[in-house]
Amino acid sequence: MRKHYNEQLAQLNTELITMGALCEEAISGAAKYLIENDESLKEKIFEADSKIDQKERDIETLCMKLILQQQPVAKDLRVISSALKMISDMERIGDQASDIAEIVCFVNQSSIGSKVHIADMARATINMVTDSVESFVKNDIDLAYEVIKHDDVVDDLFIRVKNELISGVKEGANDAEALIDLLMIAKYFERIGDHAENIAEWVIYSMTGKHKTIKD
Amino acid sequence: MTSRIFRSVFFTSVLTLLASLVLVLGVLFGAFENQIEKELKSEAGYIAYTIENGDMDFFNRFSDSDKRVTLIDSNGEVIADTEADAGKMDNHSDREEVKEALKDGSGTKVRYSKTLTEKTVYYARKLSNGTVLRVSTTQYTIITIVLGLLQPLIFVLVIAMALSLFLSSRVSKRLVKPINSIDLDNPENCDTYDELSPLLHKIINQNRTIAGQIEKARQVQEEFRLITENMSEGFLVIDKSAKILSYNSAALKLLDAEKAEDNVLTLNRTSGFIDTVTTALDGRRAENAMLHGDRTYNLIANPVFNSGEVIGAVIVIIDVTETAKREAMRREFTANVSHELKTPLTSISGFAELMKAGGIPEETVVDFSTSIYTEAQRLITLVTDIIKISELDEKSDRHDWEKVNLYELSQDVIKRLKISAEKKNVSFTLNGGDAEVYGVRQILDEMVYNLCDNAIKYNREGGRVSVSVKDGDKEATLSVSDTGIGIPQTQQSRIFERFYRVDKSRSKAEGGTGLGLSIVKHGAIYHNAEISVESEIGKGTKMTISFKK
Repeated sequence: MRKHYNEQLAQLNTELITMGALCEEAISGAAKYLIENDESLKEKIFEADSKIDQKERDIETLCMKLILQQQPVAKDLRVISSALKMISDMERIGDQASDIAEIVCFVNQSSIGSKVHIADMARATINMVTDSVESFVKNDIDLAYEVIKHDDVVDDLFIRVKNELISGVKEGANDAEALIDLLMIAKYFERIGDHAENIAEWVIYSMTGKHKTIKD
Repeated sequence: MTSRIFRSVFFTSVLTLLASLVLVLGVLFGAFENQIEKELKSEAGYIAYTIENGDMDFFNRFSDSDKRVTLIDSNGEVIADTEADAGKMDNHSDREEVKEALKDGSGTKVRYSKTLTEKTVYYARKLSNGTVLRVSTTQYTIITIVLGLLQPLIFVLVIAMALSLFLSSRVSKRLVKPINSIDLDNPENCDTYDELSPLLHKIINQNRTIAGQIEKARQVQEEFRLITENMSEGFLVIDKSAKILSYNSAALKLLDAEKAEDNVLTLNRTSGFIDTVTTALDGRRAENAMLHGDRTYNLIANPVFNSGEVIGAVIVIIDVTETAKREAMRREFTANVSHELKTPLTSISGFAELMKAGGIPEETVVDFSTSIYTEAQRLITLVTDIIKISELDEKSDRHDWEKVNLYELSQDVIKRLKISAEKKNVSFTLNGGDAEVYGVRQILDEMVYNLCDNAIKYNREGGRVSVSVKDGDKEATLSVSDTGIGIPQTQQSRIFERFYRVDKSRSKAEGGTGLGLSIVKHGAIYHNAEISVESEIGKGTKMTISFKK
């Protein structure tokens, strides 16, 4: 019974890593699509998103099974409940990555994308997602704190991009639709950053048992 | 153990006690009864004598409380009794001892009381007057005696129990102490009692077997470790929940990991890696290419089965970056060769087509033929160069190795190049002295020829080419320097690549194939020599080949 329990916990870990890796793939695909305009990535992003959705169901079922059949306590229970919360964040990251992929094709026809700092924002967000998954995989609490701090960078970049777009509108750029789309993409990236921060917070919770509200 | 020893000691003492009790009681009691019977008989004899003498007053005088005397007539009526009133007593004719006495003259009978605690021994004797005299005595039965002994018996048993408890614990301690103090590693040095020596022998034998097995296991492990550690391929063994069981340092190096613990996916989580691991754990062999930074890895994962069930997987990581690069280079070479071959062929085919149509003036035909001839010559040179380079590439052993004097070789080459040098007004100088190297004359000649040829081709009008040959203790060097156009610093590393040209248009005009320096480089590799380039744009180039001795 205990052996089975440990196996299930190991499986949960594997599934979470796989799901995290899929998120990284989706978000980096979306960013690459945006920056390099590589149309072939679109399908890959959608595929990753549907895989992420499937993984969410699988992990949810596994967590329920663990809770019902094994009655975990202490750290195991924290890990499992954190996993349940983490997967919903990961699932949102997947969804937003595919949302970005849907909009990107409209933006790319306009040259305005290269003028704003959206690429920087994409890179910053990818780093956050990668680091949050990395902190979970390696149980690296310091890295998790780094991710939480890094969210400010993404937030600042969002404001910057927004201002750049506003001035674009004021100057009367002739492609208003692209400006709006870019704003949405920027917002998606900002949301993804928030989700990555959430994941990092759950990593901290699963290890320390304390919720981290960022002070420092 | 203590309780078992206690039980046997106690059991033995109880058994001994009981046995001796039974024996003593049995023997003593038998003797005692005989004694009583004898006593009764003699007593009866005296009393009979008294009574036969007519002394009936005897019954009143009788004072022995132990015994009871009764006189019974031949009909069984009691005449007199020492203890009870004779008139009130029953007829005694049915009593066995009386019956016996009436019949045989005497009779004995023992009767037990209802509780069995007492017994009465009767002895009857027929007197001469026909009456029967009966003497009886009452005594305790064996049960009464045993019951009386019960209290001291219990007391003795308690003492026996305490004593056996004490003894057994002492004995067991003394038994166990040497066993516990056996030094399992050196049992032969132990001070024990003889009965333990089979155990010690067993331990010694077992120690030997264990040591042998450990040594064997260690050897196998060491072998395995040596093999895996010296592999340049990464090697990972995982269980069915993807936990790392074993790995080698190459795996960590290839995956840029510091430690390998827990889940294998912590080392890498690119989709290629995850796919390979999951496929293998599903029970299928997996082979995937994986990009890691700027390196290309080939991942091979094989599932490990135990009684039909997947219990883990073995993953091998092979760095195929070099192979992939070589593959890319080969493809590039093929493409280049095809292109280089196609260009002259296209012109030949074009001129030939025009001439086939006919109606072309004589002098144009000559022009065309000249062009066809030049292009064909170019093709021949190109194909010859490709053949040379392929031969060098294959490092075939068909060449004859001999001692070659580089100085004489250079003289020979300069002589052959004299015409083309004069065309360009380039002067040749040769300095240095004899330097012998061990090598293949044909290839060395080709190398020097190509170097000098380049020195002329890429020289300015009226320039100089100087060849110098030096012989040293460790190496012989040959350097060719020109006063030509020079090679830009950024491209110096690429000039030895096949078909690489610094200035494509110029090189075409000079009629080069783009393979010259490549042949030099391969020749140098073939001879285990080194090439160095010094060049400055507009001033000239110096190429030096150093042959190791």
